[in-house]
Amino acid sequence: MITVALAKGALLKDSVRRFAAAGLDFSPLLDDDNRQLMVPSPCGTARALLVRNADVPVYVAYGQAQLGVVGDDVLREHRLPVAPLLDLGFGGCRMAVAVKASSGYRRASDLPAHCRVASKFVRCAEAFFDQLDLPVELIHLTGSVELGPITGMSEAIVDLVATGRTLRDNGLVAIEDLFTSTARLIGHPIALRLDHGSLQTIVDQIATAAPAARPPVPA
Amino acid sequence: MALQPAAGARDLNPGQVERNRRLCQQLAAVYRLWGYQEVAPPAIERLDTLQARGGGPQAEVVRLAAEEPLGLRPELTAPIARAACTRLAARPRPLRLWAEGATFRTFVGDGGGQRISEQLQSGVELLGVPSAAADAELLRLLLACTETLGLRGRHQPLLLVGHHGVLSALLDRVPAAERTACRQALTNFDPLALAALPLPGHEVDQLLVLLRLRGEPAQVIDKLQQQLGPLALLEDLAQTLQLVEAAAQRLGVGIQLDPSFQPQFNYYDGLVFKLVCQGEAAPVEIASGGRYDGLVARFSLDPDAAAGVGFGFRIEEIRDLLDSGEGPGPSQGPLLLAYGQASQLPAALERLEALHRSGLAAELLPDPCADAQQAEALARTRGNQAVEWLG
Repeated sequence: MITVALAKGALLKDSVRRFAAAGLDFSPLLDDDNRQLMVPSPCGTARALLVRNADVPVYVAYGQAQLGVVGDDVLREHRLPVAPLLDLGFGGCRMAVAVKASSGYRRASDLPAHCRVASKFVRCAEAFFDQLDLPVELIHLTGSVELGPITGMSEAIVDLVATGRTLRDNGLVAIEDLFTSTARLIGHPIALRLDHGSLQTIVDQIATAAPAARPPVPA
Repeated sequence: MALQPAAGARDLNPGQVERNRRLCQQLAAVYRLWGYQEVAPPAIERLDTLQARGGGPQAEVVRLAAEEPLGLRPELTAPIARAACTRLAARPRPLRLWAEGATFRTFVGDGGGQRISEQLQSGVELLGVPSAAADAELLRLLLACTETLGLRGRHQPLLLVGHHGVLSALLDRVPAAERTACRQALTNFDPLALAALPLPGHEVDQLLVLLRLRGEPAQVIDKLQQQLGPLALLEDLAQTLQLVEAAAQRLGVGIQLDPSFQPQFNYYDGLVFKLVCQGEAAPVEIASGGRYDGLVARFSLDPDAAAGVGFGFRIEEIRDLLDSGEGPGPSQGPLLLAYGQASQLPAALERLEALHRSGLAAELLPDPCADAQQAEALARTRGNQAVEWLG
């Protein structure tokens, strides 16, 4: 039995669609009335776990799920030992530094040394400011990070930006991107090495069905 | 006052300790049959010794606050290799040593705090044999150990085998500037990183094919020979695997040659392997090992003659694997000796010692008990295998 960890929220619909292309139907997860967290595929060869975004790589790293779909931002932040197999192309967003629109800062390097930066993604933020050689005080928040600059708790935030509307509505502006993030198909490295073909077939079918997905491996 | 063990550490109950000890004893009996002698390397080592393991930052080493830089051993190999090259340098080679004990690693938990994991390991080191004969002996010993542990068909034991030198030979065609990133992408099973390497498309395609190359040893070696041509270490590897194939088949252990497989330790520089079983829900890595001539050379006065191979079993993973899916076994606790009157205590103590002299484990219920039924009820609660009642 193959177990797939799928993230609740924005990535779920496209994730279910990609696995359907590989013959695994997890569409009951899209049903608004569904309360099941583990859904078997009708073919009986696989099941899907419905978990929070950040928990997808955890289930895969511990081997409870052999495959999973999660944003690259989560992989970069949590750095768990999972194998990134395909860039699925959907769920695109940017990890960006944002400040109050009235602040006058135009680049991250304009920020004063030792200023406060609030983020849910403190590892990504730390790596970015280390690279800039700019010492900052990172404040870990679990949500609504836009309030950091609004309340004056921080000069800047590092957060995911999709359309930019939340930033605009809160008087913030993105000044620099750390990276762009899209959904990744990930796998458990040892499970992939022990695989007799069933996992790789799914990966190949998903890659074939979505030409944007990389890398197509030659036969 | 905190009443729990330090973050990441575990305290074991008597049943777990007993199972661990039994597993260690089973393995030790096999090591001894094969001529290995027990050593007890220190848990504390100089960071120099631990860093001789080579490669990048030693972030996993638990460092101690001391006048000189010290750390707790994250594995048993480096301390044994150091001892073999210093205190045991005059002993004739091959030197066959085994050891068991706790190993310690530190990591940052999701909460951001430091966590320390403590693992019980048991393993062997075979020092002073540079030839592939030592690789073959080590794998045969590993297989003999799997037999004594009682792994069954449902555990689907599989020996994953790779070779540092073979992978290096395969990467020779990659420009030197990209070789490290390429090796990392292959060993991390990261096709996206491979595809992102600044290499011509056909070279990336070859690497992606290499990432999929694994399977039955003879077939994989055939394919490797087609790519690499005649290569002494490939012939050695083929011969080593031939020498273990029959024993593995007899014991129901699969062997998979996987050229892009490398375990986490970066001191291995030849054969590498990992024994993986199928747990109830996920693969379980129960042993790993390989050749580490370069590590021995760093401690040795004669680096050219330095050679070492070894493996370690992860005892607690094996215990959990073997115990999963099986209910609690019959009570193994000592016999419970109970008595009815306070005046019978001297007689009870005499009887207790008589039982011990006859080789029976027995414990005393220290205060008088109302009747035999109450004693039996207490024995069931305590897990005693039987009751003797002095009415």
